[in-house]
Order: sequence, then structure tokens, then C-alpha cells
Amino acid sequence: MPDKNTALIQGTLDMLILKTLALEPMHAHGLGLRIEQISQGVFQVNPGSLFPALKRLERAGWLEREWRSTANSRRAKYYVLTAGGRKQLKLETRDWKTQSIAIARILEA
Amino acid sequence: MNIFRNLIAGLRELVRRKKTEIELNEELDAYVQNLTDAKVQAGATREEALRAARLEMGGVESVKHQVRAVGWEFALEVFVQDVRYGVRMLLKSPLFTAVALTTIAIGIGANTAMFSLVDAILLRPLPYPEPQRLTVVGTNQRGESQISPMGTADFLAWRDRQQSFEQVAVLDGAGGSFALSGMGAPERIPGVGVSANFFSIFGVAPLKGRGFHPGEDQPGAPGVVVISQQFWRDHLDSDPKVLNRTLTLDGKQHTIVGVMPAGFRFPPRAPVDVWAIHTLNPPTSRPPFGLHAFGRLKPGVSMRQAGAELDEIVGQVNAQYPSSTPLAGVVRPMKEWMVSEVSTPLLVLLGAIGLLLLIAVVNVANLLLARAAVRRREVAVRMALGASRKRVVRQLLTESTLLSLLGGVLGLLLAYFAIRAFLAFGPGQMPRLNEVGINSGVLVIAFVVCVASGILFGLAPALETSRPALSDPLKDANRSSSSASAHRTHRALLVFEVALALLLMMGSGLLIRSFVRLSHVSPGVETDHLITAAISLSDKYSEPQLGQFWKQFLEKLQALPGVRAVGITMSLPPNLLEITNPFTVEGQGYDRQRKLQLAEEMAVSPDYFRALGIPLIKGRFFSPSDRVEGEKDPMIVIINETMAKQYFGGKDPIGGRIQTGDPDPRSPWETIVGVVGDVKYSGLDSGPQPTIYVPYNENGWVGWSREMYLVVRSSGGAQQVVPAIRAELASVDSTLPLAQVRTMDERLDESLVQQRFRTWLISGFAALALLLSAIGIYALISYSVSQRTREIGVRVALGAQRSHVLGIVLRDGLKLLLFGLLLGWIGALSATRVMRSLLYSTSATDAVSFVATSITLIAVALLACYIPARRATKVDPMVALRYE
Repeated sequence: MPDKNTALIQGTLDMLILKTLALEPMHAHGLGLRIEQISQGVFQVNPGSLFPALKRLERAGWLEREWRSTANSRRAKYYVLTAGGRKQLKLETRDWKTQSIAIARILEA
Repeated sequence: MNIFRNLIAGLRELVRRKKTEIELNEELDAYVQNLTDAKVQAGATREEALRAARLEMGGVESVKHQVRAVGWEFALEVFVQDVRYGVRMLLKSPLFTAVALTTIAIGIGANTAMFSLVDAILLRPLPYPEPQRLTVVGTNQRGESQISPMGTADFLAWRDRQQSFEQVAVLDGAGGSFALSGMGAPERIPGVGVSANFFSIFGVAPLKGRGFHPGEDQPGAPGVVVISQQFWRDHLDSDPKVLNRTLTLDGKQHTIVGVMPAGFRFPPRAPVDVWAIHTLNPPTSRPPFGLHAFGRLKPGVSMRQAGAELDEIVGQVNAQYPSSTPLAGVVRPMKEWMVSEVSTPLLVLLGAIGLLLLIAVVNVANLLLARAAVRRREVAVRMALGASRKRVVRQLLTESTLLSLLGGVLGLLLAYFAIRAFLAFGPGQMPRLNEVGINSGVLVIAFVVCVASGILFGLAPALETSRPALSDPLKDANRSSSSASAHRTHRALLVFEVALALLLMMGSGLLIRSFVRLSHVSPGVETDHLITAAISLSDKYSEPQLGQFWKQFLEKLQALPGVRAVGITMSLPPNLLEITNPFTVEGQGYDRQRKLQLAEEMAVSPDYFRALGIPLIKGRFFSPSDRVEGEKDPMIVIINETMAKQYFGGKDPIGGRIQTGDPDPRSPWETIVGVVGDVKYSGLDSGPQPTIYVPYNENGWVGWSREMYLVVRSSGGAQQVVPAIRAELASVDSTLPLAQVRTMDERLDESLVQQRFRTWLISGFAALALLLSAIGIYALISYSVSQRTREIGVRVALGAQRSHVLGIVLRDGLKLLLFGLLLGWIGALSATRVMRSLLYSTSATDAVSFVATSITLIAVALLACYIPARRATKVDPMVALRYE
């Protein structure tokens, strides 16, 4: 579960991970950092939720991992989006948009 | 989600656990490194950065745990862990484990064995194609519930006019036999006569050859026979060229046309060696009623429609024979007919065994509860270290289920041997025994029962053990105050157990009492030194020759040394009654609507009464001078005491006259010359029946003497006399077998096999139940004494007498016992009713057996209380006060 006061809607973390990895393959720390940066610090992902989520997505066949060297020549596990992962991301994004528009409409009514 | 991929990934991780672990460690390390690097870049010193990073990371172990918990294989790992832990715990207390395992094994084993019997005999459909369309067809008198065999006239009318059945077939003489000659010593083999389409009704293909062809049962057709696989193997050495060989059955040549597979057994009660073709000749009268008819319903036709149609046809036959008693037609499902006799005893036994299992479960639950107190400390440690209550309960349930499954495996072994023993030594006269065995269905049930009882006996103790404690169980695990609710559960279970045991014991008490009464019933004859056998004469003897044969043979036997009296009879006590016949007493009138009065009727030789030791009450026995063959004297009969009392009241029956057969004024009159004592011919448990004896050589009866029982009263043992009888028979006709040679004592014994068997069985269960509940009581009282050691110590220190302490503990046990007894009595008063049909002149709420069993239970239970109570009196106050 995310830290800070913002409760992440159940399942959204998975979508955020997929989206972030769609930009480029990343290791776990980079991934957490990127989510935090893009959300301008609204979402901070702690390892206790990040690692289980990664394993879950990998099991589902949406991610693959490979060992790469990092910038400072350390070996790190990089996560790569698979074709299935892209499809899943598209699906989730579409659903999310439909839902958020609907929610916005209700709130503005 | 791709299940397959998930499965593979999970399996891979299971196999390469170490590697996965290392990778995860590496990744987490990298994460911390990255975090530190980022913080250093942001300006922190290396040390500060590392510290902050570790803090942010949280517990590494907890993260790892969460990651591992994602995969399905994690649940499996936890389960394996639980099982391993469980095994360790069971090994740690071998005595407890042994007692629990034995208890469960007995419970599960007995249940599995019994259930496989019930499954094979009562539940599974008959082993024929579309068995629901198979029916048994017969007649009865209006208002009766049982189904009786048909007469030829009724059968033929039905066969020719019915529209509801695809095929109808008939079987003559269920439980009959044929004399087999021409193959070594003559012998009798079990066999029946059947119509041509008998086999096609069942839809079972012969192993070899064919069934009968249509038309082979027409009058005048040559004799053909189908044999069983067993007969083929035992008598014909599995001769591959067995087809077209001939068998001489009852003196008539039969050609073998087929061999039926071993699985085919019909009639179902006992194995049959041969099915010979049975020819139906046009009837000259409506009786006798000896045909068992069967039909395969057309698809879509209901049993009710078929029954209505049959009833109508039987009505037409009623009109055709106006002097006969009107009958009604009955159609029943074949399975119901096959198993009706055994279903009540089987279900009662299954119920009894179910109770035994419940007792076993309660006992194990109590054992576990007693252990729960000891294990509270261990569980408290685990919970303090972060195990959730759910996790602990699951672990404890895994342990108890493990126990029940291990017990179940032992139980299955037990069941396997129990079934083998039952088939070998049990009463063989039961339908469908050849289908009994432990099959997959039985295994599934046994497994389900195991798991269910594991959860059942584990749940209360598991909840109890893991109950959040108010006081700290780490500190004083032995304090009785912390397990007050466990103690209540414990006691309630024990009351329940005592009640169940009492129920079972009362059931067995009733059966024992009934059996004792039954085995003391006098068959009405003197049973010692009495040899019986069966002889049947083939078709080559004409009727006059039959009379000749018997006269000559009886004279020869009478002359043998060691033979005191010898006779022949159609029916034999205690349960071999051949025919019953309606009768009319002079002056009674011929009202056809009156319920038919039936008497057991049999033809006997003059010395029959002397040979059996049947007392003469009035008048005289038959004498050889009564009748010369073919002469037209008035016919004479002897009746029994019951008939004299019921139908002649205070009048002297000697010289009175009766008619036999359907009420008809034109029937000949028969004069009563004697009254003899009652003899049981329809089973020892049957009530008194009117009986009519006629001389075997009287007109109209000679033909019946083709199959007779021989009775010989000897002065010495059977071993000396039987060979002499065989020799005499061979000297008259070497093709005749002397069959079913038994002493009367043996026959009496055999007639009680079923009753004896179920009495023993249920008594065995009851004894086990008593033992188990005694162990249960003993365990509970010992446990509560150990819990109260301190209290007792205080009492003794304050001056309580030993007898006082004894009284306290005993009173405690007695209270439970009385509650249990009360509950048991209530249960028994409502439950033993189901046993009514199994009891002989014993009420289902027989006070004597209820009181006797209650006293037995109280005595045993008090003993079980007394041993720990006495231990309580030996408590040394000094030791007790330092106890904790």
C-alpha cells in the first residue's frame, strides 16, 4: 500500500507500474522513484507494496525481468513490459478513463 | 491470467527455492543501494544515507514474506510446514498419538467396511443395463403388502396380453436344485428353471456360447442348459469345448449352450450353478403358485401403469377361476425386491457404526482438549511471535486432520480385512455379496469422513487453545481458571459420549435378549441324534414307482443297526416349509370374500412323528395299514394343536372333517384321526401356525413325494449311521445323491445365522463403545484431578478426610454420568423403534435390557472414575501447595 495520506485505489498501483514501464525498462528503485516524481510526490511507493506487485504482474505474464548493469555498473534486475502487458495497460487505461470521467461527472453534477 | 504459466512459475520457484531466495535478496540489496546512492547524491553523508534507506525499506524479512505470499505455492509451503510441524508434535507424544490413532482407525475402519456393504447392496444400481426398468411381477391377496409368486395361468395370461413390458420372463423354484448324475458320484447342485428370454431381460452377455433361443421353452423342445463360470471351472475343468456337452439333471439330458460370467448371479441370494430351460405346460388349475416373474418395462412406461395393467389381467383370471381366491397383481422394482429383507438390518448396523464413529470422534476431541491445556503455552509463544489466530487454528486443524487421515489409512486396512472376514465367515445368504468391495466411491466417502471428523474433533480444541487469554498463559499455563470454557466443552462432550454409548448398548441389549429368547424356542421336536437329508427321485420313476421306492427304502433303513426310527417328509423344521394350502372346516361355509385361512400342509410317512419325537396329543398316528395303493378309502389327516384350538374350540377334533385347497363344496372330505404337538416349519421366530399332515402315499400326494427329506433317529453318532444310509440308497438306485446331510442341531444353528451374526456384531460395537467411553471418562476425571491438585491439597491441609475427597471427585463424575444416562434414555426411547422388526418377542423399549445395560454402563463408568479419584486421595498437601 502506498504511504502518505493518499490512499491508492485498489489495483491502481499495478496500472501505474505498467504505465511507467511502458516508457522504458527499469529496476525497482527507479520505478518507485519515477512514480513519485511524475505524481509530484503524491504517490510514494514503499517496498512492501512494490515488490509483491512486481511479482504479481510477472506471474500474470505482463512483465519480464532481466539482469542489467546500471549506470554505476551495478547489476540490477530490470523489469520489461511484455506484449501482454501492453495490451493490459491499454485495457486498464481505457477502463480508468471511462470511470474517472463518470466519477467527475457525478462530482460536478 | 494464464493459469498454466502461473503453475509453471510456481513450480519452478518451489524447485529452485534457494535460487529464488538469493535473487530476491540481491534485488532488495540493490534497492537499498540505489536508495542510499540517491540520498548521497542529495547531499547526505554515506552513513546517514544508509540509515535513512534502511528505515525507508522497513523490515526486509517482512517484505520478503509479502513477496513470497503472492504465489500460490506459498499456501502449499505453509501447508507442508504445518504438516511437518504436526508430525513432529504427534511424534512428541507417542502415547496420545497411539490412543487417538487406534480410536480413529476403529471408527473409520468399521464405518468404511459397513458402508461398502450398504453401498454394494442397497445403494448401487443393479449391474445390468438400465436397471430402473427391471421389475418383479407377482400376485398377492388384496390388502397384503408382500409380493408372492404367480401361478401358471396368471403368468401365461399376463405374458400374452400385456403391453407395458418389452420382455417378460419367468423363473421356477428360486433356491432350487437339480440332481446331477453321470459325472462321478451323484450330487445336488443349485439351479433354477427359466424361460427362454430370461437372460435377454438382464442384458448380460454369456461368457461363452449363447443364452436361450426363443421357442426353446416350448413343450416338447429338447432340454438345454446354461451353466455358471464357477460350475464350468469346478465341474468341467474349464473345458474349452464345453458347448454341446450334455448334463444329466434330474435324470434328463440337457445340452450345454452357454456359460455365464461369474458376475452374473440370479436369483441373487446364493450362487446358482445351472439355469435349465423351463417348459410351461398349459395349467389344469390356478394353483400352485411357484413362478417368479420378471419384466423389463418399455421405455417411458411407469411402474404404476404396468401394475394397473397387470391387476386388470389378474382380474380376468379371477373371473376364469371362480372358485379360487381372488388375487391382485403387483409390480415392484427388482432392486427393492432383491434387498428388501436385508435393508433394515443393514441400515441399523450402519446407524450403530455411525454412533461408534461419533463416540470415537468425541473421544479424540476430549484427548485433544486435555492436550490443549498443555499446549496453551506453546501456542501463546507462537502468537506472541506474530502468528495470527487464523494461522494457529489452521495449523492445529492441519494437525488433527493429519491425525484423522493417518487413522483413516489404518482404518482402511482394517476395513479391507473386515470385509474379507465378513465375506468368509458372515452369513452367506445375502443378495449381491459378490459386488461388495472397497471401490473408488467408498474411498471417497472414507476420505470425506476422515477429513470431516478431523475437523470435527479438532475444531473445539483448536479454538480453545488459541483463545486470546485474559491472564497471561505464558506465565501460568497450568492454571485451571484459564481453561474453564475448555472444561465445559470437555464435560458436554463427555455427556454426549456416554449417551451415545448407552444408546448403542441398549440396542445390543435388545438384540441379545431377543436372540436368547429365540435360541430357546423349541422347534417342537427332539433334536438330539436326529439326522436329516434330502433325496429327490428323477422323472424316470412313475408315480406308482415312487410309492414303491419309498416303501422299500424305508424298510431297509429301519432294519439298519443303530436306527431307531425313520421317516420322510416334504417339509422340515425349523424353516424348510414347502407349501401352504387353504382349508375349510366342515360347517364353516364357502364365503369367497372371507380372508383365506392357510395351513402348512405336508405329506409324511407313518413313522415321521416317532422319528422326530413329535408328541401325540389325541387320537393316533398314521399307520402303514391305513392305505393300500390306489384304494378308495376316506382320506385321513393329522392336525397340530394350534389348528385344533383355533378351529375346533372346545370340541373334540378327532373324527371332524376338513377340505383342503380353494374353498369348494365339491372337494373331497378328509377325516382327522389325530392331533400332534406344534412344530416350527416357518422359522423359529414364526408364530404358531395351523399344520395339516397327510400320508405321503394318499391319493393326490404321491406325485409330491418325488422330493423328500429323510429323517433318521439314531441311537449312536451320525458318523456311523450316515455311511450306512448312503450304502442303502446306492443299493436301491446308484444315480441318486443323498444331499444336505445335517443333524437337526446343525439345522437349528444355521437357521439363526443371520440373527446371531448381527447380534454379535452390534454387541461388539457396543463393547467398543463402552470401552471408548470408559477411556473418555477416565481421561476426563484424571485430567480434572490433576487440574484440582492444588485445591485438593488445600482441602486436605485444612483437614478434609480422604473419603471426603473421594466423594468430591466421584460426585463430579457421577453428575456427568447421570446427565449422559438421561440423554441416552431419551435417545433410546425414540431410536430403538427402528429395530422392532429385528426383535423376537422383545419390545423395542424392553425395560429389563434397558436397566441391565444402564447398570453395566454405570458400573464401568464408576470404575473409570474411581481410579483417578483414588489417586486424588493420595495427594500430599505439601507437594500440592508447592505444585505451581
